[in-house]
Amino acid sequence: MTEPSPADLAAVVARFGAVLHDSGVAVGPDRGERFARAVLLTRPATTRALYWCAAITLLADPADRPAFDRAFDLVFGGMVDDASARGLDTSPESSGANVPPRPGRADGGQPGIGDQPSGSPPSSPETRSPYPLIATSAERLGGRDFAKLSPDELAELAVAMRRLRLSSPPRRTRRTRVGHRGPALDLRATLRAARRTGGHPVRLRRRRPRVKPRRLVVLCDISGSMAPYARALLQLVYCAAATGPRTEVFTFATRLTRLTKVLERVPPTVALERAGRAAPDWSGGTRIGAALRTFLDEHGARGMARGAVVLILSDGWDTGPPEVLGQQMARLARLAHRVVWANPRTQSAAFRPLTGGMAAAWPYCDAVVSAHRLTALDDLLAALADPGPRHRPRPRVADPVAAARRTDHSDSWGR
Amino acid sequence: MTGDLPADVGGLTAALDRTGYLADEPLATALFLATRMPAPILLEGEPGVGKTEAAKALAAALDTPLVRLQCYEGLTVSEALYEWNYPRQLLAIRLAEASGATVASADLFTPEFLLARPLLAALEHTGPRPAVLLLDEVDRADDEFEAFLLELLAENTVTIPELGTRRAVLPPVVVLTSNRTRDLHDALKRRCLYHWIPYPAADRVAAIVRRRVAGIGDPLADQVAAAVQRLRGLELYKPPGVAEAVDWATALRVLGIATLTPATAAQTLAAVVKYDEDLATVRGSGLFDD
Repeated sequence: MTEPSPADLAAVVARFGAVLHDSGVAVGPDRGERFARAVLLTRPATTRALYWCAAITLLADPADRPAFDRAFDLVFGGMVDDASARGLDTSPESSGANVPPRPGRADGGQPGIGDQPSGSPPSSPETRSPYPLIATSAERLGGRDFAKLSPDELAELAVAMRRLRLSSPPRRTRRTRVGHRGPALDLRATLRAARRTGGHPVRLRRRRPRVKPRRLVVLCDISGSMAPYARALLQLVYCAAATGPRTEVFTFATRLTRLTKVLERVPPTVALERAGRAAPDWSGGTRIGAALRTFLDEHGARGMARGAVVLILSDGWDTGPPEVLGQQMARLARLAHRVVWANPRTQSAAFRPLTGGMAAAWPYCDAVVSAHRLTALDDLLAALADPGPRHRPRPRVADPVAAARRTDHSDSWGR
Repeated sequence: MTGDLPADVGGLTAALDRTGYLADEPLATALFLATRMPAPILLEGEPGVGKTEAAKALAAALDTPLVRLQCYEGLTVSEALYEWNYPRQLLAIRLAEASGATVASADLFTPEFLLARPLLAALEHTGPRPAVLLLDEVDRADDEFEAFLLELLAENTVTIPELGTRRAVLPPVVVLTSNRTRDLHDALKRRCLYHWIPYPAADRVAAIVRRRVAGIGDPLADQVAAAVQRLRGLELYKPPGVAEAVDWATALRVLGIATLTPATAAQTLAAVVKYDEDLATVRGSGLFDD
């Protein structure tokens, strides 16, 4: 390349920034200015050197690299594509317009499912009052299965869901706060107090660890029959996000999609719509084991699942081999603080985990709940907030009333 | 102000090379820009591709101290930045008592009672060349700490309530590393240069092994690099990185093994494969049966 004059360089940088911006890579003028300074510093002699100059100063996420490469090609041309696969295949969704949610898709369930509620039927008009009131909508719709609610009726439940409190068991952090009792002395506070007593530390101030709620990780199955429940659960997470613990959200049908970032910006219906577009193979069934493995490899084992409360929403119909699911659940159970499985099929008392995926996953769940309608969400919230005994009990279908009555013999002063 | 920092990317590559760190062009460019612009650089990549090593090598190449702060959840300002020397303050109060003077709190919170922790130490380094400040695994620290880092990175200043704002004498070269256990805040990322370190090709791994393990023969280094490459092709929970390749070569050299055969590979596999399930996968794959 020839030596650029500063004016030239500014124009080129501005154009490159604009092209990047159009292709969905957010580049502000501050980064553009940095790129220009880097070019003047390194004086790149080859297109390749210029490419690295640009990548280092303008990019902040390997996921943006494909778009970046195209933009670079467009502006500087003749670029050899040496950007090999750099991990992370999650291409960010372009910030699309607010797509109106399609009504519930009544697509075929998975093969071999007899007793599955299929996609939501159209809402029956006679139950719709023209002036729906918040309390009555919760009363009217709270007892109905999520799969039988239309998207509009589900949206009505949002207000009721906002009153629910998602909470996870606390964990001790390394940070401390002043307290009257605690393991460590707070020398600073003690000294300040000592200045009032002539330099004698008469009153000892102590510090004790703060507690924080554990991270909550939600893994949602969005294959055909599970879509209504996933929508409801994501709505719950979305509504409770303001008060609850830090929550990470993933969806899976055939591949795993991370929705956390998307949910911060758009309502759950739109987020699900996008996740559905990312996983177009709706009728192919779910590969829970493979999705779980992807989650653990890319996020969980690195720290996201460590000490967290993990909620899996799925009916347990795994099209992959059950031993894979078993292995991955074992890995997850070793990482996570608690594993809660929400399975709408457990709403029937006759449900027994005898086959396939659910049977493989069963031993590793701390609680299994149905979470199939608003009134059943209390079980779910209780299961998530339960601090759990140190040892893993045989999992059972959660029953908060019985759990409250149950005495725990591991507890030396329980009776 | 630059002292005698490397003048171009080639110069820095050579200087890193002398310290025993092989940096490819992109990484050398990134480190060069971080040093000369100067701007903080965020290095990401799989565990064991040499993120932390890069910062250490940079400090050695620039011949300046490396100030390292290992981040973890719950890291507090008193551990990262500064702490008051309480025993000394207590003594000062008692001494003043004995001599009948009164002690105002302004007398107790002066620089002589200040203990500099890594961040402050890096800011107050007087040169001739800037210190290298390594913030290791910054993704493990929490949001509050990130917010605090922002002020530090943007202004190169630190505010201590009792003393006011301290400005860096010579802004340090800041290297952040992250394993992506969580997404860093966009505001932090925007202030940093960014480089993703990919896993290097086999011949490069062999070159790194030769450089890091003294007295290892060329054939063995090549064999180790090729074997690690093949292991990465299996679906392991923890694919071995460059660090594991170096460990493996070291283990072989300690045992006095000169060539990698199926038997010797199986014998030393513990240096590379860290999960029982992975061991089973490797044994079942028949990679080392040839």
